[in-house]
Amino acid sequence: MFPADFAYARAGSLDDVFALLEQARVEDEEAKLIAGGQSLLPLMKLRLAAPQVLIDIADIADLKGIASNHESTTIGAATTYRSLGQHENLAARYPAMADALAVLADQQVRARGTVGGAVAHGDPAADLPAVLLALDATVEITARDGARAVALDDFLLGIYETDLAEDEIVTAITIKDQAAPGALGSAYEKFAHPASHLPIAGVCAVVSVENGIIASAQVAVTGISPRPYRAGDTERILHSEPPRSSLIEQAASQVATGITPLSDHHASGPYRLHLAEVLTRRALNRAIARATANTRSL
Amino acid sequence: MPGASEVTVRLTVNGTAAAATVPARTLLVHFLRDELRLTGTHVGCDTTQCGACTVALDGVAVKSCTVLAAQASGHEITTIEGLAEGSPGEGRLHPIQQAFRDEHGLQCGYCTPGMVMAIRQILADHPDPSEDDIRHALNGNICRCTGYQNIVAAARKAAVAMRAAGQEG
Repeated sequence: MFPADFAYARAGSLDDVFALLEQARVEDEEAKLIAGGQSLLPLMKLRLAAPQVLIDIADIADLKGIASNHESTTIGAATTYRSLGQHENLAARYPAMADALAVLADQQVRARGTVGGAVAHGDPAADLPAVLLALDATVEITARDGARAVALDDFLLGIYETDLAEDEIVTAITIKDQAAPGALGSAYEKFAHPASHLPIAGVCAVVSVENGIIASAQVAVTGISPRPYRAGDTERILHSEPPRSSLIEQAASQVATGITPLSDHHASGPYRLHLAEVLTRRALNRAIARATANTRSL
Repeated sequence: MPGASEVTVRLTVNGTAAAATVPARTLLVHFLRDELRLTGTHVGCDTTQCGACTVALDGVAVKSCTVLAAQASGHEITTIEGLAEGSPGEGRLHPIQQAFRDEHGLQCGYCTPGMVMAIRQILADHPDPSEDDIRHALNGNICRCTGYQNIVAAARKAAVAMRAAGQEG
C-alpha cells in the first residue's frame, strides 16, 4: 500500500513550520504535520487521509525533551513514547504512565510515535490521552501570532477532531504536580485489540489517599466513546470516602453514565461498557494499593 | 506548492552512504528493497502490525513500512544484511542469527529478519530478559508458522551468548 502523492518538506524550526503552513494555505493545499507518523502514515496508506503537503517536524529540537520544575512537568510534543518511558522520575511519580507505555502498541511503534501526535491525532482509541486526561494535562499550542494553552479535556472534541486550527502546532503537553493532599497512586488498565494493540477500552485512575480516605480521584476512559473522557460521576462517588470494595464497585458502575458507546465489528457497545466497568475497578484497586504503599513509605 | 513531490534521500545503510531520488511517498522499506536492492527486509502485513519490515533507525528498531524514506534521510539505518560479519556464507553470523539457526527459530523464514532485528532491540534494552520479557516485547512481530516457542528460545540463547561476549547490539 502506498499513500497518495504528496509534497514533503522538512521543517528545521517553528518559523519554518509557520511559513510552510501559510504557503499551503495561500495555495489552498491541505497540509499535515508529521512527527513519528505512526498514526498518520497508516491512515494515509489506507487513503483515509490524503494531505497534499506533509511537513516533517521530527527534527525540531525545541519540540523534544522533558523538563520538570517544582510545580509541573512539560513534555515536548515530538518526544517519543520510548523517550518518555526512559524518563525515570516521571514513571516513578505517575506509575499509570509507565503502565500505559508498557502496553501501548509495540516497541517499534513506541520508538517513533510521539506524545504530541497521540494528542493532536484525536484518535478515540489511544492509550496516552486517558492518562494525560486523568492527570489534568494542558496542551501547549503555538501559531505564528502567539501561543495558547488549553486543557486536554477541552482540546479533544470527537473522532479525529480536536481544537487545533490549521495554522497551529501542538508544541508540548504540561502536567501540573497533583495538588491533592495525601499519598498519590495511579494505574492504567486496558483491554487491547490483539492485532492493533489499540484499547477496545482503557481506564486510568489517579487517586490520593489521606488518613484512610480518598482525598481525590480522577478517572479517565478511552476507547469506548468518540473521545476519551473524564468519568465525573465515578469521581464524585469516591470523593471523601474510605476505599471499600463496595464503594469501588458502585463507583465503577457509573463510569459510563451518559455515554453512548462506540460499536463496531471488534466490540459491541454493551461489551465496551462492560469492559469499562471492569477496568475501572481494576485501575482503582491498583491505584489505591499504590497510594497506600506510598503512605507507608512516607 | 510548499515542499517537493520528489525527494533526494541520503542515508547511511549498514555503514555505507546511499542516495536516490524518489517520490516523496516512498516508504523506507521500498527504498531499501527497490532502490538499494536490500531485500532481506520483508513486507508482511504493510499495516504496522507484523514487524517483518523491522530495521534499526539511528540504532533503534522501527517498522520501515511506517517510515517515509524522506523521514529517514540524514539518518543511519541497519538492516538484517548489516548484522553478520564477513561475506555471505563465509563470515560469522550475528549471535542472534546463530541462535535462530541453533534453535531452529524459523520455518518459512518470512518473519525472521524482522524477528532478529526486534530481538536485537530487546536485548539492547534488557540484556538479561526473562521469558515473559521476551514474549511481551515481541508483541510487535508476528510469526504464522512456528508458534514462537523456538523464536523465544533463540532470543534467550542469544542473550546468554551476547552477555558472555559483552556485545550490546
